[in-house]
Amino acid sequence: MITSMILFPLAGFIINGFWTLWAARNGSRVSSRVSGAIATSAMLAAFVSAWLARSQLPASGSTEVEIFRWFTLGSLSVDFKLRLDALSSLFTLVITGVGALIHLYSVSYMEEDEGAGKYFAYLNLFCFMMLNLVLGGTLPQVFLGWEGVGLASYLLIGFWYREEANVSAGQKAFVMNRIGDLGFLIAMFIGYKYSGSLDLATIEKVVLPAGVGTSFVLLVFLACTGKSAQIPLFTWLPDAMAGPTPVSALIHAATMVTSGVYLLARLSPVISQSTTGMTVIAGIGAATALITAIIACFQSDIKKVLAYSTVSQLGFMFVACGVGAFGAGVFHVMTHAFFKALLFLGAGSVIHGLHGEQDIFKMGGLKKKLPVTFWTFTAGWAAILGMPPFSGFFSKDEILHQALVSGSGSVILFSVLLIAATLTAFYMTRLYWLVFFGGPRMDKSKFDHAHESPVAMALPLVVLGLLSLAGGFAGEPVHLPHPEAVRSTPAWIIMVVSVLAAAVGATIAYRRYSAGAVSPEAARDVFRIDSIYSSLFGGGLKATASATQWLEERVVQGLIRLVAAITDLSGNMIRVLQVGSAQAYLLMMIIGLVVMVIYFLKGVAQYGNF
Amino acid sequence: MTAFEPWMLLVVSVVVFCIGLLGLILRKNLIVMLMSIELMLNAVNLCFVTFSKMHQLLDGHLTVLFVMTVAAAESAVGLGLVIAMFRNLRSVDSDQIQLLRD
Repeated sequence: MITSMILFPLAGFIINGFWTLWAARNGSRVSSRVSGAIATSAMLAAFVSAWLARSQLPASGSTEVEIFRWFTLGSLSVDFKLRLDALSSLFTLVITGVGALIHLYSVSYMEEDEGAGKYFAYLNLFCFMMLNLVLGGTLPQVFLGWEGVGLASYLLIGFWYREEANVSAGQKAFVMNRIGDLGFLIAMFIGYKYSGSLDLATIEKVVLPAGVGTSFVLLVFLACTGKSAQIPLFTWLPDAMAGPTPVSALIHAATMVTSGVYLLARLSPVISQSTTGMTVIAGIGAATALITAIIACFQSDIKKVLAYSTVSQLGFMFVACGVGAFGAGVFHVMTHAFFKALLFLGAGSVIHGLHGEQDIFKMGGLKKKLPVTFWTFTAGWAAILGMPPFSGFFSKDEILHQALVSGSGSVILFSVLLIAATLTAFYMTRLYWLVFFGGPRMDKSKFDHAHESPVAMALPLVVLGLLSLAGGFAGEPVHLPHPEAVRSTPAWIIMVVSVLAAAVGATIAYRRYSAGAVSPEAARDVFRIDSIYSSLFGGGLKATASATQWLEERVVQGLIRLVAAITDLSGNMIRVLQVGSAQAYLLMMIIGLVVMVIYFLKGVAQYGNF
Repeated sequence: MTAFEPWMLLVVSVVVFCIGLLGLILRKNLIVMLMSIELMLNAVNLCFVTFSKMHQLLDGHLTVLFVMTVAAAESAVGLGLVIAMFRNLRSVDSDQIQLLRD
């Protein structure tokens, strides 16, 4: 079951991939419906396998399947093996379940696109790699998946490659992830040095010396900041919205970006050894949650708002991991996968209905026009706000609770998250209101032509809407060790406070955007992080490059030219002697001979012998 | 009868050698140059024989025999080369033979 789970998406990738290549060679077109059906059924089959695998999970909690020996280097041998336990099982269910829904949605969304075969091949490749990531039994295998999802993400961000902006967004994502991957690699080496093995089961149990433990945690977290878009490496995620919307939903909201949380939860026994590391994780997470929530309030592109919101929610998850409540973080991964995938697909449905319009200030009044989208979006909106009984309420509340009461939590951490939650309510309500309520602010013909999406798109919305509504009742899906509570704050107070915060945020947004005519706001780059990065790193890189160029042109090439000039000059001086007449050479030879004879005879005169 | 003193023979040898050397350097005709080389060889031969007689040893005589053999072979080859050059270039002037120079 575990093996078949990863083989189905791989098969889908191979079939669609070769079909697309074959079709490109023959000049025929891949039918988007058929390739979509192949990809979707592959994902459905994988979902069924994942479900069965979970039900067959033994009481001991984990099971391993060795597939083949990957490589042997001296005493180190790495197997290609799949390891299923409660944590990876949850992730496989989310990946294959949400993945299957998004594949189904894509069949309709990408119907008119010429590159549908390629699209579905990449999407299946992504799922295969993502399953490798969460099922990998050894760190190199996790790394393989880690890189593989990065590759698939790059390919899908730049899917509409004819626009240069999309391609450079893909490159940005790739390069930023490389920075994090370096951390992963070094952490892997540290793990191997101190445990003598690359098996996750061994590395989980390793006890690292204090300083090494901290650097291990920080390196792993560096990898997570890349993949899960945390400060300082988060700027790629909003740009990644250049890809098709279902891709944003699957890769850049529900699954890939949560792999950082997976990695931390997977290595939680080692991670929690370092208090410093944990504090950094929580601090960065909280800062990210707050800063990106502020940025989201100033965006006007519907997908950009959701992208910044994703980064902010990921910050919540990292705070949970940082205070030791890995279970709460994973819980939020699950509920977030439901409601954020739903919100993205809803946004996709709106964009689809309006034929490509993404500016929320050019929407409005779509409630009647897109009823299914509206109602499901409402569920997603309520869930992200943390309204009881929607799923986001349970997980976000748990994180807020842990941030306050756990040993490494603090009032500051809690307040930052609370402000971030208030801002979340503000920008989500702003988005929700501007899209669905008020008068239409687009051209009349566009509004008249707005249409509800077909069934293939509506069905995933409904399913995800139900999951967003009820998913929270599942409770924490994985039982990871919890931190000890040092402050005793009753849970109900936090619930009330968090719901009140959300209500305040939502009310401010409602008052601001519901009354009268809405004046369009241009997106504002509040913190100018991109331009800071480009002047800091880009400028530094350019200065280094021009300095190196100068060095190369003037110093290195100058030296080479000097050597050439010396050779040339001496050649020119010596060639004068080459007159070409045998007699002249003979004369020179005799002069030389005479000089030598005189020299030696002088020696004889001085010393009496040679 | 007064025997020749060795120094007389050596003076003759040096004079003949210098004539050969100057001929080799100053003349451009290849055949004359070959003959100059023969002169130099024979001057050296004379030198050998003189020293051999002086020291009452046979080594010098033997060497002279070798040198004469080699000189005969050398002039045969040298003349052959000169004739081959003359056929190709219609000249035996060493200044004309500069093909290896750029």
